[in-house]
Amino acid sequence: MQKTDYDAIIIGAGPAGLTAGIYLARAREKTLIIDEGTGGGQLKLTHLIENYPGVLSLSGKELADTMREQAKAFDCDIRTSVELTGFDFTQEIKTIELDEEETISARSIIIAVGGIPRMLGIPSEKKFKGRGISYCATCDGDFFKGKDVITIGGGNSALEESVYLTRFVNSVTIIHQFDYFQAYAAAIEDAKKNSKISFILNTKIKEFLGENTLDKVLIENTVTGEISELKTDGVFIFIGYLPNTKIFKGHIDMNEAGEIIAGENMETNIKGVFAAGDVRTKKYRQVVTATSDGCIAALAATEYLSGNSGEL
Amino acid sequence: MINQEVRVSVKQTNANDFEKDVINNSNPVVLDFYSAECPPCEALAPKFESLEEQYRGKIEFIKIFRQENRELAQKLGVTSSPTLLFFKNGKEVGQRLNGDIKKSEIKEIIENTLLN
Repeated sequence: MQKTDYDAIIIGAGPAGLTAGIYLARAREKTLIIDEGTGGGQLKLTHLIENYPGVLSLSGKELADTMREQAKAFDCDIRTSVELTGFDFTQEIKTIELDEEETISARSIIIAVGGIPRMLGIPSEKKFKGRGISYCATCDGDFFKGKDVITIGGGNSALEESVYLTRFVNSVTIIHQFDYFQAYAAAIEDAKKNSKISFILNTKIKEFLGENTLDKVLIENTVTGEISELKTDGVFIFIGYLPNTKIFKGHIDMNEAGEIIAGENMETNIKGVFAAGDVRTKKYRQVVTATSDGCIAALAATEYLSGNSGEL
Repeated sequence: MINQEVRVSVKQTNANDFEKDVINNSNPVVLDFYSAECPPCEALAPKFESLEEQYRGKIEFIKIFRQENRELAQKLGVTSSPTLLFFKNGKEVGQRLNGDIKKSEIKEIIENTLLN
C-alpha cells in the first residue's frame, strides 16, 4: 500500500473533531486535526456549559481546551489557523491542500467543520457588521459597557448570551419573531428573572439604521404589521448556525440546507469520508451529540482503515 | 537591517501613534483591532504574522489593542473584534473584515486594493 502522511485527517477541531481525534489516536491511527480558527468550535464561544454529563459547570473555552489537551496527550497532531483551500477525496488516497501552499495525504477523512453564524439576510446587516452588529458575545460584549443593546433570537444561544451580556451592558432587549421561545425552560427562566433584560415578542427586524455606526433598528410587529423605530447602541444576532460546507458543494452529497448527508455511522457517499457533528444531517445539535458523532465517525473510520468495513 | 534569528512580532500601535504609524505610513497598512478573550482574534494572529512575513517591505501589518484604545475604536466605528481595516495613502480603502477572517480574504484585498 502506498504511504500517506496520515491515516486520518479530521477537518475541524470542535467537540466532534476533537473526540474523533481522541478515538483515532487511541486506536493508534496516525491522525491530524486541522482548524481554520483556534479550535473548539462554537463550544469555545459559549460562556457556560452546564449540560455536558460529568461537568457541573465550566466555561466552553475550558471544556474545549481540555478536549484538545486530551487529543494531544494521545499524540494526535493538531494544526490551527490553517485554511482548507482544496482537496481531492475521489481516490483511495485522499489529499487536502492548506493555505494554497501545502498538500497532505491520508487514507480517510472526517469532516467536522461545524457551522457559521446565520445572518438575518437584511442588506443593511452587512453594512453594520462590526459597526454595531456582532455575532459573538464573549468577543464584543465589553465594547458595550454601560450601553443598551438588542439581541435577536429565541433559542438557547440568544437567551444564554443575553444573560452573559448583562455583565457589561446597561440593558438587553431581546427581540424575537414568535411569542414563545425555542430555548430550554432553564434558559428562559434565567433570562426572565434578570432585571436588565426585557422582551419584544412577535417582532422582526426590518432594517438597521445609522450613519457610520448602527444607532437604531426598524422593527415590525408580525401580528399587527405596525412598524416602529428603536434606538440602540448595538445588536447581537443569535439565530442559529449554517453548515460551513461551501467548499464541499458538488463533491459530497448534501441536503438543501447544505448539511452533509451522513447516517448513523457517519458515512458520506464517498468511501473513507465521514461527517460528524453539526455539519451533518440531524435534528439535535448539542455538545454531547457532537462528541457522540465524533466517536462514531472515528470507530467507523478505524474499521474502514483496517479493511473490515464490510464492503469492498 | 541585521538579519535576526528571532522573528520580530507584528508591530503594535496605540491611539497616540495612530496618525504617525497608520495615516502617515508610506506603505499601505493592514490594521488589526483585537481584544482579550476573543477566540477569532487568537485565530487571526498567526495568519497576520505569516502575511506580514510574506509582504514585508510592501505592506505594513499593525495591531492595536482595542481595550486600551476605546476612543479611537469608537471614532473609527469599530465595535467588533477582530476588525481589519485597510489603509492606502492615509485613507481607509476596501471592505473591513471582521469575525472569523480567512487568510485568503485578507490576501484578496491586499492584492486587489492595496497593491493595485
